[in-house]
Amino acid sequence: MKSFVAALAFAVIAAVGVAMVLNTFQQSSSVAFSTTGARVGDPGHNLIGPG
Amino acid sequence: MPGSLSILKLAGFKPLFAAFALLFVLANPAAAQLSFKPTAEAVQEDKLLNALKEGDKITGRVSIPDGMAASLIQPAGRDWRDFQRSKLPWIGGVAILGMLALLAIFLMVRGRIRVHQGFSGRTILRFASFERFTHWLTASCFIILALSGLNVSFGRILILPVFGPEAFATMSAWAKLAHNYLAFPFMLGLVIMFLIWIRDNIPGKLDLEWIKQGGGLLSNGKHPPAKRFNAGQKGIFWIVIIGGALMSVSGWFLLFPYLPANVTALQFWTVIHAVIAMLFIAAMLAHIYIGSVGMEGAFDAMGSGEVDLNWAKEHHSLWVEEEQAKASAPPDSPRAVPAE
Repeated sequence: MKSFVAALAFAVIAAVGVAMVLNTFQQSSSVAFSTTGARVGDPGHNLIGPG
Repeated sequence: MPGSLSILKLAGFKPLFAAFALLFVLANPAAAQLSFKPTAEAVQEDKLLNALKEGDKITGRVSIPDGMAASLIQPAGRDWRDFQRSKLPWIGGVAILGMLALLAIFLMVRGRIRVHQGFSGRTILRFASFERFTHWLTASCFIILALSGLNVSFGRILILPVFGPEAFATMSAWAKLAHNYLAFPFMLGLVIMFLIWIRDNIPGKLDLEWIKQGGGLLSNGKHPPAKRFNAGQKGIFWIVIIGGALMSVSGWFLLFPYLPANVTALQFWTVIHAVIAMLFIAAMLAHIYIGSVGMEGAFDAMGSGEVDLNWAKEHHSLWVEEEQAKASAPPDSPRAVPAE
């Protein structure tokens, strides 16, 4: 039972940790694919979330 | 209603318009012929799409860093969409519902596999705490990944009508987040599993004998000899490792969709991900069944880690002999190993 609970806790912590790490690398498409010659419109909350 | 009045006024000139049109047709037969083919361009476009072979596509030029945006028309995408909508639900339905039906029939015909000699009251350590931790880490992630993945394939058909659009959308958004991020501890669990259990899961001659005897599943009280893992468990191990590896690689491409070379490669990996997932889930249903309802005493192996000695002797006789030999070996013997 301890192993089971520890596994669940670790899974949640690992998933949250990965999400936090990846979010530091990720850019929204409106930022990643814009250049000095092309501007990509912000698709808004519906597709990529706020910010 | 000025518009209506205008139409009424124009309606009065209808015979006159018809006479002019007839005159125009008689005077310009070529133009009249064109006027009867209003969809000529669409027909040509359809022929063009059909003429494109698999892998062909019509591309343009883009100035943004997303090169995939240059793909304008990719006919193979229609085949991919048809697969997702028609074939995949059938593959998933047959695999998962078929497995559930088979297990139900097996339970009805064979019944629960009992410990033939009854519980002895003495136990033997089958899995150490770290092994159980690894199992449950992978298993708990797998269950969430499977349910959230099935929601992608079947949620719109099965859950949306029950939950309603708002609740279904909220649930699906959270399920997608869980699917994306729990994939990482799942992959970690796979790697650890591979490392800690590979040694005991190499197939051998003993496994052929186990398979010939059907693993003793069909006869009461008669079990072929097996070491730590029998052929059935080895099969599950390799399904998990190979299936999990395929799910991980294909899932990695779906998590980071700009890693594949092009859209066609991305579609290929989505198909691999979906088909392997359905088969993987079906296989795990069998594993869950035999580890819980199907076999008396089996759950303890991953529950407390200790199984009844009679259960162990019946299902893993050679492993028990090895463990007992280790325990009875004198301390200075080279075979003695520290207790876990």
